[in-house]
Amino acid sequence: MVFQMQPYGIQSMLKEGHRHLSGLDEAVLKNIDACKQLSVITRTSLGPNGMNKMVINHLDKLFITNDAATIVNELEVQHPAAKILVLAGKAQQEEIGDGANLTISFAGELLENAEELIRMGLHPSEIISGYTKGIDKTVEILNELVESGSENMDVRNKDEVILRMRAAVASKQFGLEDILCPLIAEACIQVCPKNPANFNVDNVRVAKLLGGGLHNCSVLRGLVLKSDVVGSIKQIEKAKIAVFAGGVDTSATETKGTVLIQSAEQLENYAKTEEAKVEELIKAVADSGAKVIVSGAAVGEMALHFCERYKIMVLKISSKFELRRFCRTTGAVALLKLSQPNPDELGYAYSISVEEIGGVRVTIVKNEEGGNTVATVVLRGSTDSILDDLERAVDDGVNTYKAMCRDSRIVPGAAATEIELARKLKEFSFKETGLDQYAIAKFAESFEMVPKTLAENAGLNAMEIISSLYAEHAAGNTKVGIDLQEGVCKDVSTTNVWDLYVTKFFALKYAADAACTVLRVDQIIMAKQAGGPKRDPAAGMDED
Amino acid sequence: MTTMLQPQIILLKEGTDTSQGKAQLVSNINACTVVADAVRTTLGPRGMDKLIHDDKGNTTISNDGATIMKLLDIVHPASKVLVDIAKSQDSEVGDGTTTVVLLAGEFLKEAKPFIEDGVHPQNLIRSYRTASYLAINRIKELAVSIEGKSLEEKKGLLAKCAATTLSSKLIGGEKEFFASMVVDAVIAIGNDDRLNLIGIKKVPGGNMRDSFLVNGVAFKKTFSYAGFEQQPKKFLSPKILLLNIELELKSEKENAEIRLSDPLQYQSIVDAEWNIIYDKLDKCVQSGAKIVLSRLAIGDLATQYFADRDIFCAGRVTEEDLQRVAAATGGTVQTTVNNIVDEVLGSCEVFEEKQVGNERFNIFSGCPSALTATIVLRGGADQFIEEAERSLHDAIMIVRRALKNSTVVAGGGAIDMEISRYLRQHARTIAGKSQLFINSYAKALEVIPRQLSDNAGFDATDVLNKLRQKHALPSGEGALYGVDINTGGILDSFANFVWEPSVVKINAINAATEAACLILSVDETVKNPKSESAQGEAAASAMGRGRGGAAFRGRGRGMRRR
Repeated sequence: MVFQMQPYGIQSMLKEGHRHLSGLDEAVLKNIDACKQLSVITRTSLGPNGMNKMVINHLDKLFITNDAATIVNELEVQHPAAKILVLAGKAQQEEIGDGANLTISFAGELLENAEELIRMGLHPSEIISGYTKGIDKTVEILNELVESGSENMDVRNKDEVILRMRAAVASKQFGLEDILCPLIAEACIQVCPKNPANFNVDNVRVAKLLGGGLHNCSVLRGLVLKSDVVGSIKQIEKAKIAVFAGGVDTSATETKGTVLIQSAEQLENYAKTEEAKVEELIKAVADSGAKVIVSGAAVGEMALHFCERYKIMVLKISSKFELRRFCRTTGAVALLKLSQPNPDELGYAYSISVEEIGGVRVTIVKNEEGGNTVATVVLRGSTDSILDDLERAVDDGVNTYKAMCRDSRIVPGAAATEIELARKLKEFSFKETGLDQYAIAKFAESFEMVPKTLAENAGLNAMEIISSLYAEHAAGNTKVGIDLQEGVCKDVSTTNVWDLYVTKFFALKYAADAACTVLRVDQIIMAKQAGGPKRDPAAGMDED
Repeated sequence: MTTMLQPQIILLKEGTDTSQGKAQLVSNINACTVVADAVRTTLGPRGMDKLIHDDKGNTTISNDGATIMKLLDIVHPASKVLVDIAKSQDSEVGDGTTTVVLLAGEFLKEAKPFIEDGVHPQNLIRSYRTASYLAINRIKELAVSIEGKSLEEKKGLLAKCAATTLSSKLIGGEKEFFASMVVDAVIAIGNDDRLNLIGIKKVPGGNMRDSFLVNGVAFKKTFSYAGFEQQPKKFLSPKILLLNIELELKSEKENAEIRLSDPLQYQSIVDAEWNIIYDKLDKCVQSGAKIVLSRLAIGDLATQYFADRDIFCAGRVTEEDLQRVAAATGGTVQTTVNNIVDEVLGSCEVFEEKQVGNERFNIFSGCPSALTATIVLRGGADQFIEEAERSLHDAIMIVRRALKNSTVVAGGGAIDMEISRYLRQHARTIAGKSQLFINSYAKALEVIPRQLSDNAGFDATDVLNKLRQKHALPSGEGALYGVDINTGGILDSFANFVWEPSVVKINAINAATEAACLILSVDETVKNPKSESAQGEAAASAMGRGRGGAAFRGRGRGMRRR
């Protein structure tokens, strides 16, 4: 309080406690600095050899991952400018489901290079216009780099799917992609609808079961429920299924009521009529041909008793989403009330059985024959963190499948595309006359971040790799990228590393947009946080 | 006043703790090594036990790796991974939990010097993965199948596996006795192997040798009412009725209310209530059952009613036991006494109530479907029986796995030495850094025989050298040699029946490698501050301190206010 003086200028307009930063030094460079810090965190996770981060979130849950979307999500980034990068990453994650790391790291690199330009004396607006031209040109060049013949693909051909999925999965679980990709591809192809564009990511489920190892993973046509069946019938085949969302029990009134009994007979018969009623209901279900009852809520003991009597298997699925998926798998219609179902409301499953996997009893609902809409990838691993990370890899793979259903074009991976973009863009920049020439050149230079990081993460000499990449590309071998396994430059068509065009397109676009947005800011005004200052009991005592 | 100062760049929330780089990795490795050291001494037949005293005042004595890891209450994020793999080994195989932690710890320890020397962790990870792949294939090659043997022979073989597991436990002295018991129990439950069909009942008192196996179900006598003493306590091939209802005089429904206009009717209502219960009891008797069990209470009225008709009854049987009785006797649990048909009744050859220690036990034996078994454990102290139960659980799991996968390998560190030798040999064929890493992986595997002899008080270096020499024999005859825990030398483990199911080793190596790779692949740790609820307490204590400071002229408090 000693520092306190009469407010002036903008200070006088705003409430006490706000923060106000403006100008190149205070706002722009600080923002860039924050974004740089963020991208430094994510950068080391880029690519197949990227390192994992151990993030412990505010609920004390441990994440060990190299998935950038998860990392930034759990990091709880506070800085407003850095948040823009996080949002760009999230947008990418939602649009494509993969490539979030490329977005954030590339945006960070763009901003880092912008800082140099600012220090050189360029005005941010010139940089922005240069970057905008840069990204426009990039998109043009990217179009030229698309592998010819890749725009037509059969989304049901496993080999073609795996070819496009490999890079995405390998960047999450390097060395395991040969095991994971076929599994993911198989699951995706199984549930792919007639019109591939309608592919629903939710139809590929992941069941994580602790224990075993990756080689125990498998794909199941149908669902895996992590619970046991309720009754004693544990296995059934070729069964019709009745689904009741409201629970299987004697119906009770919602309103509080009392049963009035007036005579002794009534009292004696009370229990009997109730029993008879339940039996009648269960019998009606059994008569309809259903062999399995699925309940969305509690199963009454009385009802269970009669189900056993009529040899009906009883399953309880308390999650509404799970129940909906179950209905989708079996084609059943969920009935609200326990009553006799119509034949067309019954579902069908090839087999339902309870199996023990890794000490956990799970119910497996299979539907081998056609019309199957849900597939499950059963993942096995020795720790929860590994399983979570595998799940993210599968998610990325499935999202890639979704993306390739819409646009199957591919570009060379393993940094071959980036180097080519950098080279072509640099040539283009020389033709520009204005000051934005510098910005475009820097934009081109930013692409070098990708091979540099890939090489660094793999423990290789980055400068050597980049220079040899440039040499190869200049010689006309535009498909030469880094082979991380051997640490040399190789034609990607021999190593089969391809990226989806859309992934790259959106990642670069979002990154450039985010970078421009951050650069455009010249003032930050932060209002005082609502709720007043933190409670401080010592406040009164100071007045001495 | 903060506006006056140059604002700091705050990227993350206040209180977030980040660490990164080599130092962070090394500290993670150190944390894991510490955890591995904690369980190190429990490995093997001569391993020592740990006494763990938890915050609730419970004392546990155990040498089961998974139990110890669970009770240790580890908070370090990296070490938590080790707890996870111990758990996973426990659920997947049941035994070898100490092994898995020890291996993971050793892999990391071997990796540490390389990390410190600046090797990129990814190189290490790749080599470790290759090594584990090779090791697992080698185990599969070496495994001996016990498929296609007669039941008797198989039993003997399974008992050997169980004995190997049990030898490292508290009840190792009686391993043959328990091993055959465990094998009988597992064979009894047959193909539908649900673990909860094997019951383990603990009765303090007596000695270990007094433990016995019931080929059926046994449970402690439940709480009983007057009249119970008059009931017969032994039946030969009785019918058994299993119920899930209360046989007691009580209101039918909570929400039913009786309103009477005529006081004369009152007696009729009372009679009606009695009628209802008598009706129920009557139906039970008419079903022909000689034994009535219920999950809920059987009141004194019912107890006496049954006693008059020479029927045995027990109320408040635990759900678990009732399910086991149902599985064993072939009956089903009924929720109503109306129309009880014969097929829902169970039966068994002999039922009797027996004195075990100072408890009375209800024992059903000679059951038709015989899908259950119960082991009644006797022993001195509570902790002792607890540990014995855990050991038996491990042995049961091992036998189940051996039955399912039916391949075994030589124990006593023999298989570990053999893989180690194999990997070293393989490493020589590799050019490049990988050679070093696979070599160190091979070295890490030697920790098992080393620790076995260390724990037994032998000179580990001496034993290891002998073993290495044997395993290196070009004829390959030494491949089955392991540590001889009795003499301190080496012996052919396989010929001496120190056997382990191969799945235990495969899973252990797999899990340990995965965990080690996971920890090596972390290059940054970020710890976010806990959310409001969790922080409440921390803030309160900080506040208390703050106030204490404020009493001294309230210095320092001004800084905290915005």
